[in-house]
Amino acid sequence: MSATSLFEAKGLVKRFGGLLATDHVDITVEPGEIHALIGPNGAGKSTLVNLISGLLPLDEGSLSLDGVELAALAPHQRVRAGLSRCFQVTSVFKSDTVLDNLLLAAQAHAGSSFRFLSRRAAEDVLMETALRLAETVGLADVLGRIAGTLPHGAQRKLDVALALAARPRLLLLDEPMAGMGPEDSLQMVALIEQLRAQTAILLIEHDMDAVFQLADRISVLVYGRVLTSGDASHIKGHPEVQAVYLGTEAHA
Amino acid sequence: MDAIFIFEQLLNGLGYGLMLFLLAAGLTLVFGIMDTMNLAHGSLYMAGAYIAAKVHESSGSFLGAVLVAIVATILIAALIEWLVVRRLYSRDHLAQVLATFGVILIADDLVKAIWGPSPIMAPTPAALTGPVQLLAELPYPAYRLVLLGVGLAVALGLYLLVNHTRMGMLVRAGASNRSMAEFMGVRVGRVFSFVFALGAALAALAGALMGPIGAVQIGMGEAILIPALVVIVIGGIGSVRGAFVAALLVGLVDTAGRAFLPPMLRAVLPPSLAADLGPALAGIAMYVLMAAVLTLKPAGLFPARA
Amino acid sequence: MSSVATLPLPAGAGARPRSAASLLPWVVLAVLAAFPLIAPAFGLEYYIGFVRRLLIVMIAATSLNFILGYGGMVALGHAGFVGVGAYTVVAMVEAGVGSAWAAWGMAIVISAVFAAAIGAVSLRARGVYFLMITLAFAQMLYYLAVSLRTYGGDDGYGIYTPLSLGGLDGLHADIFYWVVLALAALVFAFSSRVAVSRFGHALMGIRDNETRMAAMGYPVYRIKLVAFTGAGAVAGLAGALLASHNNFVSPSLMHWTESATLLVMVAIGGMGKRWGGPLGVAIWLTLAEVLKLYTEYWHWPIGLMLILVVFFAPKGVATLFERKEKTQ
Repeated sequence: MSATSLFEAKGLVKRFGGLLATDHVDITVEPGEIHALIGPNGAGKSTLVNLISGLLPLDEGSLSLDGVELAALAPHQRVRAGLSRCFQVTSVFKSDTVLDNLLLAAQAHAGSSFRFLSRRAAEDVLMETALRLAETVGLADVLGRIAGTLPHGAQRKLDVALALAARPRLLLLDEPMAGMGPEDSLQMVALIEQLRAQTAILLIEHDMDAVFQLADRISVLVYGRVLTSGDASHIKGHPEVQAVYLGTEAHA
Repeated sequence: MDAIFIFEQLLNGLGYGLMLFLLAAGLTLVFGIMDTMNLAHGSLYMAGAYIAAKVHESSGSFLGAVLVAIVATILIAALIEWLVVRRLYSRDHLAQVLATFGVILIADDLVKAIWGPSPIMAPTPAALTGPVQLLAELPYPAYRLVLLGVGLAVALGLYLLVNHTRMGMLVRAGASNRSMAEFMGVRVGRVFSFVFALGAALAALAGALMGPIGAVQIGMGEAILIPALVVIVIGGIGSVRGAFVAALLVGLVDTAGRAFLPPMLRAVLPPSLAADLGPALAGIAMYVLMAAVLTLKPAGLFPARA
Repeated sequence: MSSVATLPLPAGAGARPRSAASLLPWVVLAVLAAFPLIAPAFGLEYYIGFVRRLLIVMIAATSLNFILGYGGMVALGHAGFVGVGAYTVVAMVEAGVGSAWAAWGMAIVISAVFAAAIGAVSLRARGVYFLMITLAFAQMLYYLAVSLRTYGGDDGYGIYTPLSLGGLDGLHADIFYWVVLALAALVFAFSSRVAVSRFGHALMGIRDNETRMAAMGYPVYRIKLVAFTGAGAVAGLAGALLASHNNFVSPSLMHWTESATLLVMVAIGGMGKRWGGPLGVAIWLTLAEVLKLYTEYWHWPIGLMLILVVFFAPKGVATLFERKEKTQ
């Protein structure tokens, strides 16, 4: 199976001083798959996302996407290689309009940014991409709003849209449902389900209902190590997982 | 260039380093605790120098002059803190740089209005004008020795204050993690007022002591501010220990560069080139040191923040 | 794409109507161009030189505003590049070059090289450390200039035979004024244009959210370095013009307070506003000029104004005009 994996992380290690935050983690994502990563707080999920996206340097291990080795690449080069991410803490351009946010994302993936003399506003291609992104995530009605003034759920959608502009082959979603009410969560689940057709997804999420609903495969991260990996029924039935993570909570 | 000359220059470098430390200690704590860049710290140094020189001249007592300078400078600092700096805590570094640069402009004009535009003479205390025979071949000015002694004593006192008193503990807590300290109930505002006053006292002391061996003039604060900033960056912002080590390093490198580099270059390079290059390299030395330290340790030698 | 027209877009995103505000630069340009012709009638000949200096400093301030206001890079060493430009002119004069164009062109190139090298190192640092490293490099340049005895060292270097403007020489007594005006207008137009280009948008994105920009695939470091280098080159041009303006160059040009003053001018005018640089320079230098007429204590009112601006107009004076000029 690993020969055909879209994304392959092998033996990832990250130390902070004496602390082993990521302990020889192996993770694969297949084309079209949603692979969810769960684990208690402090299990090293965010560290792992930062290692994969390149915001933190790896101590050991290798990363490849579609046969391209990523470990030596800077964050922006990994995006070019097809790996895009969202942020756990919403990271958008708060004082710009939604449209300007999307235009900036579109510009990153449509030719060079080293163009100095032509007005960007005159580029219809960027505008088209921006509008398409807005439609995809359902923000087409609020293009003129200042991003920072949008409700939380809409800002999360914008965050996803900014990552989508890269037309990624692997999308890292770092707790997309964080801080959302039930209504927004449902919309986000629908959005992620819809994205499955465009990109493989590595989903870090606390919302168990969403995870069981979306994920083809689930890996459990505990103390920086992958405890086990499998489909929803495997995870639900795994005694150690119940002990360390699910506790006594019963899931349908 | 013999051993005596080298030893003498090292002592000079140590003295300069200690004076830099007096300035940098206040600067680094203010920076570390309140995340505030105060360019006007150099103006406090200038105030200390002028007041001490004038009081010494008219009263004849050097010790009294230094004490008056310290007290007066603390009052001036309190005024500056109350009017300007206190309003800058929550602002970004750029706003702090701009507003405290404004304070420098006002301070320089104020000094010009009170004491005139020309440099003034700061007399060396009469009892300390002669040399002391340190070694058979090495007479060393008594005043510079006193400078060394006072510098070391103050550094030791500051060490004890920061590491072995309750106030010092609060100061360290504030410097390493301000929001955590606030959370634990430390009244950071009060700690800061104390630190600001302490920094002002040390700056005034440095100014008063440097007066007799340097030039007491408008712009002296701006001139010494930059080496002091270099010191706190090398030492690690917020770290008194780092400021101490870095100040001695910078003092020695700067003095050694000026004293040893030109003759060394003359030995290996054509005279005209050596004459050009010597002073340049000496002036640049501390900045090269800073660049080197930051390349190896981006947060300075002793990072105060975790 | 047909849906573009039907979607609710923010005003100004599509076609741009030519407003009165867009005429403003042309009006300012016309007034400045006419000034040398009108000034003698009012006995203001002295101020032709003053305005010329103003325009030169505006070039330097505009270049700083580009990295500071649009790029969010708080550099405290910009006067270093002004100095590099000025000393390049000195070196060219010393080497026997008589053409102003050649000397200025070389000044742009050399300062760009310095800015690229300094930027390559400094831009790896953040926040205060960036500020301190740019300051440190400017100090190095300062001490280098002090030690260059061939070029006058501490005392500075006088240019006794003014550089030649080629075919423009002798056309008019104030021809240098118009050359400076043309260059200042060019720099202003260029930086206004870059601000709305792809590059400008990317630069502002980095200012607002650097991590996100990297995560969207932008080569953040390279974009900052190109901006820093360009700004250094333009500052070098200002330095070269200043050398020709004064026919004298000294290390004091690079003193750190000069860098701080440039920073202050931009902040007073308005960071990240196209008029920020010019306005700040005009306010600062005019105030200094006027105050000097009445008192030798002309620093403190400026210092006071600076403090007041920080507290009461933190975004600069240019924001007061914002409502009228919404054209980005």
